[in-house]
Amino acid sequence: MGPLIPNGIIPAGWDFVIAILLGIVFGFLLEASGFSSSRNLAGVFYGYNFVVLRVFFTAVIVAMTGLLYFDYLGWIDLSKIFILPTFLGPMIFGGIIMGIGFVMGGFCPGTSFTAIAIGKLDGLFFTIGLFIGIYIFSLAFPLFEKFYTSGNLGNVTLTDVTGIPASWFAAAFTVIALAAFWGTMFIEKKVRKNIKEYKF
Amino acid sequence: MNRNYIFLTILMLFLAVGTIFLNKTEKLKQIEPDKLLWEIIQPTRYVSTDQVAKMIIQQDPSLEIIDVRNEKEFNNFSLPKAINIPVDSLLSETSLENFGIPGTKVVFISNDDIKADQAWIIAKRLGFDGMYVMRGGLNCWMRTIIQPVEPPEYAPLTEFATYEFRKGAKLYFTGAKPENTETKKVKVIVKRRKKTKAASGGC
Amino acid sequence: MNKQISSNQERYLNPYLGGVLLGLLVILTVYITGRGLGASGAIKSAVVTTSNIIAPYETQQNGYMGRFVSDDHSPMYNWLVFESLGVLLGGLLSGLLFGRVKKFRIDKGPKITNKKRLIFAVIGGILFGFGSQFGRGCTSGAALSGSATFALGGVIAMFAIFGSGYLFAYFFRKLWI
Repeated sequence: MGPLIPNGIIPAGWDFVIAILLGIVFGFLLEASGFSSSRNLAGVFYGYNFVVLRVFFTAVIVAMTGLLYFDYLGWIDLSKIFILPTFLGPMIFGGIIMGIGFVMGGFCPGTSFTAIAIGKLDGLFFTIGLFIGIYIFSLAFPLFEKFYTSGNLGNVTLTDVTGIPASWFAAAFTVIALAAFWGTMFIEKKVRKNIKEYKF
Repeated sequence: MNRNYIFLTILMLFLAVGTIFLNKTEKLKQIEPDKLLWEIIQPTRYVSTDQVAKMIIQQDPSLEIIDVRNEKEFNNFSLPKAINIPVDSLLSETSLENFGIPGTKVVFISNDDIKADQAWIIAKRLGFDGMYVMRGGLNCWMRTIIQPVEPPEYAPLTEFATYEFRKGAKLYFTGAKPENTETKKVKVIVKRRKKTKAASGGC
Repeated sequence: MNKQISSNQERYLNPYLGGVLLGLLVILTVYITGRGLGASGAIKSAVVTTSNIIAPYETQQNGYMGRFVSDDHSPMYNWLVFESLGVLLGGLLSGLLFGRVKKFRIDKGPKITNKKRLIFAVIGGILFGFGSQFGRGCTSGAALSGSATFALGGVIAMFAIFGSGYLFAYFFRKLWI
């Protein structure tokens, strides 16, 4: 019954070995999907390359649906998994800043690692920027410590907050995602008429 | 290419919407069989009547006695502060609330220890800790606490100590406690036993 | 459908296939570890470690970093750090497989200089790093893994990041197109 390590089925000593292995698959998939190139990543915001939307959204709906089936089959105990805590204000604020950073830098942390791996200097510089950004945050922490911890709703799930069962969210996300996939196919065709290269 | 995508879209839609119809019966979580087996063979899951008597006399707050016989037998006689949960209603929500409270020791009692043992296994399977069975049940309670048997002359000193304790306990349980003697008639099941087995702790 | 791919176009996995595999990976990760994936956390560990080496007293006094300094082990002894090492390796593997490991190069839009691109990369990174601490994660940790586990925070982060990206994309269009 999963999760395996918290339930002691896999001894905790294997933690880091598993971390590396999972990371390798993660990095491989990111790079193989084209995420190591900032122009591909930025494409989602300009309509010429929706690879980010496709990969990301597909991953979310597959994972959501899959976890629900795992739960139904008794393969995983969903009450034992880590739920990201919700800090309402800070997360929205952080998300906005990250969005700007994303569109400026053309990367997010995971993809910048894969970019470094294949020799992209802009990935390297982005990662350096990440380092500096977090450092600045730490140094300036006392200024916004109160805000940082505000809006703490706890480790709530969508179901906890709305009372709607998780499967409805999975279905809703899937419907929206699938609609988005088909819709963006048309947008891409239109946008790509004006530019020659769109896969980098 | 497009046809494949249409197929995949429908498949994904089907799978995702399908999750809505997955009916999960609220299964009570259970521990693994090998863990249960290990717990069953632990001798420490039995408590003697002396131990229970001691805890009652000392008013141990962690003690929770669960009488798993039917209501009629319970009303006839039971141990002080015992809660009656007949075996067949052991898994109801209100009954389950009695188990798994950290720091409590749940002791199952019945006439012998058979029903109590059965209840113990069912409750233990749900993974609760702190569950015990009073060895010998209420029958043994009678033979050791209510009607303690004097050890023979050649018995070791410890048996005499136990016997002294039991005499005191007998006084406590049948003499001094008013709340117990209200409506309950103490039905004394007197069973003559061989002296070689007397007083040394069990039945 | 026109399958003509110019020789400049790189070979990539079908994005839906990549997405499905990534989704399965998230499931596997949650199944094994009970947590999702992540990336920004590793950089945070690196920051704390470096800061601790340069200025240990101030680091441990720091309201944010102090928590992550421990006597037993380096802050780098951390699940996300190892996972991120794996990400580097995995990216390298894929790059080798698809022939993308070449000399150092920079991706940028056609209308700007390399220097400008690198400057914006750093600034973008600074902003992203800064924001990721408020957001308790980045797109991999908060948005992807959080949403997959139905965490409210994950969904909020996801919408905030991508929503904001779309809002501000216009102002940086010169960088890309």
